[in-house]
Amino acid sequence: MNPRGPAFVTGAALPRRSILRGIGAAIGLPFLDAMAPAFAASSVPGKPPVRMAFFYVPNGVIMDSWNTDYTGPLQSLPRALKALEPYKQDILQIGNLTHNTGRALLDGSGDHGRCCGSYLTGVQVKKSVVEIKSSVSFDQIVAKEAGKQTRFPSLELGMDDARQAGECDTGYSCAYTNNLAWRSETQPLPPILNPRALFERMFGTGRAMTAEQRAQQMKDRRSILDFVSEGTRQLESGLGPSDRRKLDEYLSSIREVERQLEVAEKDNSQIDPHMDKPYGVPADFSEHFKLMSSMIAIAFQADLTRVVTFLITREGSQRPYREIGIADGHHPLTHHRNHAELMEKVRKINEYHVQQFAGFVEKMKSSREGDRSLLDNCMIVYGAGLSDGNAHLHEDLPTIIVGRGGNTIKSGRRIVARRETPMCNLFLSMMERMGVHMERFGDSTGRFQGLDLA
Amino acid sequence: MAEKPAAAAFFDTDLATIDTILALGVLHGLQGKNDCRVAVVTLSRPNLAAAAFADAVERYYRGPAGNFAQVPPIGLVTEGQAGETSPAFVEPFQKRKPDGTTVYRKQVKSVIDTADPNTLIRNYLDAQYPQNAFFVLAGPATNLAAALDFPGVAQKIREKVRYLVVAGGVFGSGAAEPHIRADIPAARKLFAEWPTPIYAAGAEIGTAIEFPGASIDREFAAVTPDNPIADAYRAYRTMPYDAPSSAMAASLYAARPKEGYFKLSGPGTIAVHDDGRTSFSASESGRHQHLIYDPQQKGRIVQAYVELASAKPVIRRFRPVDADAQADKPDTPVKK
Repeated sequence: MNPRGPAFVTGAALPRRSILRGIGAAIGLPFLDAMAPAFAASSVPGKPPVRMAFFYVPNGVIMDSWNTDYTGPLQSLPRALKALEPYKQDILQIGNLTHNTGRALLDGSGDHGRCCGSYLTGVQVKKSVVEIKSSVSFDQIVAKEAGKQTRFPSLELGMDDARQAGECDTGYSCAYTNNLAWRSETQPLPPILNPRALFERMFGTGRAMTAEQRAQQMKDRRSILDFVSEGTRQLESGLGPSDRRKLDEYLSSIREVERQLEVAEKDNSQIDPHMDKPYGVPADFSEHFKLMSSMIAIAFQADLTRVVTFLITREGSQRPYREIGIADGHHPLTHHRNHAELMEKVRKINEYHVQQFAGFVEKMKSSREGDRSLLDNCMIVYGAGLSDGNAHLHEDLPTIIVGRGGNTIKSGRRIVARRETPMCNLFLSMMERMGVHMERFGDSTGRFQGLDLA
Repeated sequence: MAEKPAAAAFFDTDLATIDTILALGVLHGLQGKNDCRVAVVTLSRPNLAAAAFADAVERYYRGPAGNFAQVPPIGLVTEGQAGETSPAFVEPFQKRKPDGTTVYRKQVKSVIDTADPNTLIRNYLDAQYPQNAFFVLAGPATNLAAALDFPGVAQKIREKVRYLVVAGGVFGSGAAEPHIRADIPAARKLFAEWPTPIYAAGAEIGTAIEFPGASIDREFAAVTPDNPIADAYRAYRTMPYDAPSSAMAASLYAARPKEGYFKLSGPGTIAVHDDGRTSFSASESGRHQHLIYDPQQKGRIVQAYVELASAKPVIRRFRPVDADAQADKPDTPVKK
């Protein structure tokens, strides 16, 4: 018997917050049919919660490969989005959203620092390397409310660089290029880059394992699931066949993440020790993305959080993509001066990013939640703070929302707003779907029209 | 601190007369002389053809989009009466080059190609230095009165805008002037609440100084055979004809207030009456003044109209003030 209490915590009915516990492990559960009465008693009767995530790509995209030349029902997707073709009925593409606060206005150059800093905050950040000033980001306003009901108010993830000091764009602190989420005017929430750290945050108890325990776990190659096996057995015994299958799939997905982590750590220990990647961070972009996004899916599935921001790579990222044959850095390539060859390389990077994202969408789509997919209950925004990275444009920002926001978004189409429509208008409308009501946010001029089913 | 660029011109109009179309050309001519920078054009009637034409004019003068030289959208109100669609908005798009292609591209095809005037004005005011912008109103006051109620805009006007020059009203005897009469409540609100000084170029200025229609086939044609404003002039009415010029006068005064083109009344207050007529009451504390025709300046003014409106576009790249920093150079990566 676990001395800290029962291995599986539950009440008379199966509560939504049921947790499988073991030594150093606390695993939240996905929505099971056995929880339906618990959902019905929740603050939103009969409805699973809506979750939202932002997947941010830097340096803009080649817009002629992103936009379609029509509005209305999505037909064949444009090249940059082609990997999402199987899920196009779940996509709403929005044109002409603008972040005026990302523009130079009177602050001169530094569009990369500014566009990322303003992306979720809707304000023009202070141009400074040391005197940081932004504003509470929209995701954190939502997290403050939605987070009352989840283990983590929000999760901030990244894959590139979490430096918070120094200059990362002309006159702009790295705090602006390396964070999306801001808790206050001066306090960004740095992203977790290391999948192992994210895994332990999600499934750990919050208490660090002793060095001996960790060493033993590594030596034994034991899964975190082994530590909760007793609770799992207890839980399974009370579930119907459908829930048992769902639980098995869910725990298998955690095991799969663990397995990928082990592979990454093993590979990582054999590669060049001077490589700029901390231990446990996969050297392979695709593997890293897969790990991080798998954990986002699990976090949403288990309702560990309802708000995620994912800075795929940082603004101004110089990362080459040798895995797809591109040895040049991403940011220099985006200043292509309309050279066809360079533009083609950027298109390939844009496609590659979306291909990774499509894997995540597939996971979300295949995961069931009640009578819908998990994706149906989410608003996953994939986009960028610049449209044309060559000209540093802050209008017509590439933006898609994947998922139906709990059946409140009419997807499968492309809509185009009037030019100059603030991105913050969309945020206001998303906030409403997350249960937060504000009249104004950032430079909003009203709620975004056109998301609705009607 | 970096030197301020030339003052930004915000031009709000209904484009209902050839005078207002020529005024846009005058403003761009003034931009070419570095006397102002045309920031945005906003239209006060929901006429898509007028917006498409204004957009074509903007593209003609601004040249192709490039880094830091995007063509801003036309602000277009979506409520109210669309009004007459002049052949001046339509016929230029039918003009063709010898190879059969159109001379001017029509890029505004639906309302989504335009912007909400309030949002556009707010966004572009954000990019101006304090006291380094002016407004020219050459149409009903509908848009500018609405802008005063738009969150944050009145304060930005107070901070950034030196003055507003209104082509409207009549100062002296005469019937109500069409721009004022078209939206009397908006005109009243504007004169009462606009936070900075207002100068008015009444209809009497426009009729006293007519734009010479003969210049279209002379000075304009000598510069280029394809000027959208000249083509609009030809389409607007059967040639030859001269045109009144209060909108051009307002634009000229706004960008060159110290050139002595016009005399000025003393300070006072402009009132808008129920029938749309305007009156001016002198008072030391008043923030309004109106332009007074000076016959001795007529020749200079007409010459300025023609030279400025017919001038070859000077493509200016208004880069951010310290845009020489390396992040924006096309081949230089952001610092790491």
